[in-house]
Amino acid sequence: MSTRVDPNFKNTLMGYGRGDWNECFHCGNCTAICPLSENGFLFPRKGLRAIQMGLKDKLAGYVDPWLCYYCGECSETCPRDANPGEMMMTLRRYLTSVYDWTGLSGRLYRSFAAHLTVVFFLFAAIITSFLIFADFSIPANAEGIVEINKFAPHGLIASLDHILLGTLSFFLLTNILNMFIKVIIKDRSVRIPFSMYFIHVWEAIFHFLTQARQLKCEGKRTYWFSHWFLMSSYVIMFILIIFFLDWFQTDQIHPVWHPQRWLGYYVTAGLIWGTIYFMIGRYKKNKEMFKFSHHSDWIFIILLFLIAFTGILIHIFRLNGMALATYVSYTLHLAVEVPMVVTFVAFSKWSHLAYRPLGLYFANLKKAALRKQYNMQVAPAV
Amino acid sequence: MEEKRIGVYVCWCGTNIAKMVDVEAVAEEIGRLPNVVVSKNYKYMCSDPGQELIIKDIKEHNLNRVVVSACSPRIHELTFRKALENAGLNPYMFEMANIREQVSWVHTDRTEATKKARSLIVGAVTRVSHHEALDKRTVEINPATLVIGGGVSGMTAALEIADAGNKVYLVEKSDHLGGHTANIDLTFPHLQSAAQLLQPRIKRILNHPNIQVFFGTTIDEIFGYIGNFEAEIEQNGKKTELQFGNVVVATGLKPFNPEVIDVYGYGKLPNVITSVEFEQMLKSGKIQTRDGQEPKHIAIIHCVGSRHPDYHPYCSRTCCMIALKFANQLRSAIPDAQIFDIYADMRAFGKDCEEFYKDSASRNILFLNFDQQKGLPRIGMPQISKAPPGNGFEMIIEMDERLSGEKIEVPADLVILMVGMEAQEDAKTVAHAVGVSMCGNDFFIERHPKLDPVATTTDGVYIAGSCQGPKDITDAVSQARAAAARILASIAAKTVEVEVTTAVVNEDMCCGCQTCIKVCPYKAIHFDEEKKVSVVNEILCKGCGTCGSACPTGAIRSRHFTDMQILSQIKGIMSMEVTEI
Repeated sequence: MSTRVDPNFKNTLMGYGRGDWNECFHCGNCTAICPLSENGFLFPRKGLRAIQMGLKDKLAGYVDPWLCYYCGECSETCPRDANPGEMMMTLRRYLTSVYDWTGLSGRLYRSFAAHLTVVFFLFAAIITSFLIFADFSIPANAEGIVEINKFAPHGLIASLDHILLGTLSFFLLTNILNMFIKVIIKDRSVRIPFSMYFIHVWEAIFHFLTQARQLKCEGKRTYWFSHWFLMSSYVIMFILIIFFLDWFQTDQIHPVWHPQRWLGYYVTAGLIWGTIYFMIGRYKKNKEMFKFSHHSDWIFIILLFLIAFTGILIHIFRLNGMALATYVSYTLHLAVEVPMVVTFVAFSKWSHLAYRPLGLYFANLKKAALRKQYNMQVAPAV
Repeated sequence: MEEKRIGVYVCWCGTNIAKMVDVEAVAEEIGRLPNVVVSKNYKYMCSDPGQELIIKDIKEHNLNRVVVSACSPRIHELTFRKALENAGLNPYMFEMANIREQVSWVHTDRTEATKKARSLIVGAVTRVSHHEALDKRTVEINPATLVIGGGVSGMTAALEIADAGNKVYLVEKSDHLGGHTANIDLTFPHLQSAAQLLQPRIKRILNHPNIQVFFGTTIDEIFGYIGNFEAEIEQNGKKTELQFGNVVVATGLKPFNPEVIDVYGYGKLPNVITSVEFEQMLKSGKIQTRDGQEPKHIAIIHCVGSRHPDYHPYCSRTCCMIALKFANQLRSAIPDAQIFDIYADMRAFGKDCEEFYKDSASRNILFLNFDQQKGLPRIGMPQISKAPPGNGFEMIIEMDERLSGEKIEVPADLVILMVGMEAQEDAKTVAHAVGVSMCGNDFFIERHPKLDPVATTTDGVYIAGSCQGPKDITDAVSQARAAAARILASIAAKTVEVEVTTAVVNEDMCCGCQTCIKVCPYKAIHFDEEKKVSVVNEILCKGCGTCGSACPTGAIRSRHFTDMQILSQIKGIMSMEVTEI
């Protein structure tokens, strides 16, 4: 079966990032210099070739972008300034939209205006809901403590959280299933034995928790730390507000050593540190990976920062018994949190939290299966 | 007969010779040979003090023959001959024994090496005893020049020589000047118009008082030798006798005919055309398929007939850049067309060519790579077939794309085959007529691929342009100007020195068998019908000695390589003791 080449395909990628896909003349320096590229998963050159030739089906099942951490050495080495690193980043965005069967992801990625509109709509919707349903006039109690659960009962908020979680999980999980079909099922060259799915799942978990693979990229220690700090903070925050909101959102002010307090501080510190690190980097373009920022990168990082910032405001106002200021901050906090979660979790940048470890998992499955197939084929002949 | 007084000089060549040959002992031993007046060893004979030593000894000891045993005569024979001349001796009273390349560099046993060096020097001494004084000879140069071929190379050479005030006869096979350059629209890499390069020059040639152009004319045979050639040409039934001193062969190239490559379907599929045909399309200003449609999918296939063992093994050098030029012109002419550049290797070696490649790549041209060498005879090469109707394009090119490893289909409405260059069909006839050699691909051979790329083995005959091998305009013009410079130098010198170590026929001994005429590689011997003997043209003779060894009666004598000289050298080398001589 031969594939029809389509030189116009690359134009459809333009909304997902930048880069001159025509420039590459396939010297392979990028693949040679890449510290993560390995036999069986040689990138980024092959990805660029598939883009140039418009091999759409091949790209849909292409797992390599999830194995790349954009250290940028490939782009620095490129003799033709073809930006292979940015090409991989573009492919990650494109693949996110390929996995998303609703088509929403593609719209958010391709149009800054669309993404911004959705964010503002949700922002306005939350604020309106609070203005209609919440009572901003509840004063602090006699001891001067702002009773936030009277303003926004944690039971109600948690229920809304769970509805949101359920909806977004449905989309994310179906997208993951789509990814699995495209990467594993449609690839006829490998047959993965059932047991392997269990053997290799630990690698995905280990990677998810440590992101140690990133350290193989040279000069990425600060980046790794910032990214890991941000990610772990986010995950802890996620767990706290989804599963332990009644414990986390209390009216009682705990002493500083209480886990509720220092977990909150950890989360805030991680979000602030991480978002500022990335904002400065993206503004200064001081690293290869920061040179080309897509609007999804900016919206994501700004919303995350605002979440942390409004969180701090809530905390300060609450400790000082400033009721109205606390309620306003709380409203704003949710008004930035909801659009971030809705637009990013299943349809944009946030989803790499799932796709990256899964990509590595699928790649390892393929590698192991190929090894096994190879041995089985070779063994009788020897 | 005068007394033979021989001086022998053994060179150390620093440690090059001295470490493997006991030069002092050898010099001392050679000094005991009869007729050897002085025998010395010295660190560097080729140095100025070394040469001075020889000159001083010649004068002081009244030497009349000299032997230097040092490196190869290829390196320093002329140096020492010059030294002899400076001392007032005939330069041919000299012999060189090579004890470096043939002894010290190739042996590891010092005793044996010393013995061998001694033998070689003894041979040189015995040979030099029989050397004869030979006189230099010169011939006059006819300032007129014959240029064969009116393409860009021939035109350049003709103008260069004529502008310097010399007569040029320009012979062109067709009825117009410009050759293949005249068929080109734009040139690479700067996309300049070829006509703008050519037209002023054509005009100048046609109006040049020193240039006489013969259209529709070929050269059948050239007689004579450097400085004094002659040929008879026929134009419109009128015969003209031309006399000239030098020849520039600039007969050019022929485009490869792709009909023999069946997978490309040239001649069967109407919209598969050659690069030559596409140039004409570009010149006409209308890019269209046979049925007058504007092509929306255009494929350019490189290396057609080049770099393939079934056709031509060599690279035609210009097609890659011409293909890029096409791609650029197509992109400008049809901005929304899909342009595919199907190449085996992109060769962008010229000045500004890599930049041209890079710029072209940014113009949305899809470069597809195929493996020309893999899977012979045909697998791996793109296959062109008619597309089923209703696809929106006319042809499908199937190929194994090397950079992706995919088997792919390329849509095409127009396919341009980048045909390579090959030698002219009549290259053999021309080669015979002017006396130049050809390589396996029928291109003419230069005298030295690096150091003398414009001269040929025949003195006074130069080659320029693609008759020597595939070339772009730049290289062709450079070579033409180089040939012109060489010719102008010889015209300016008015005379040229010719080889004196030639063959001579002893007419009394010649039996008239004409064996020598058959074996002479330089056509230097003719037969005197009146006297019934062979006569050597000493100007054409290179002194190779073939005739001398073939002559059944021993009537031919090669100067400086006489039987006596060679036999005595062999005797000298074979003698075990010095006293044997």
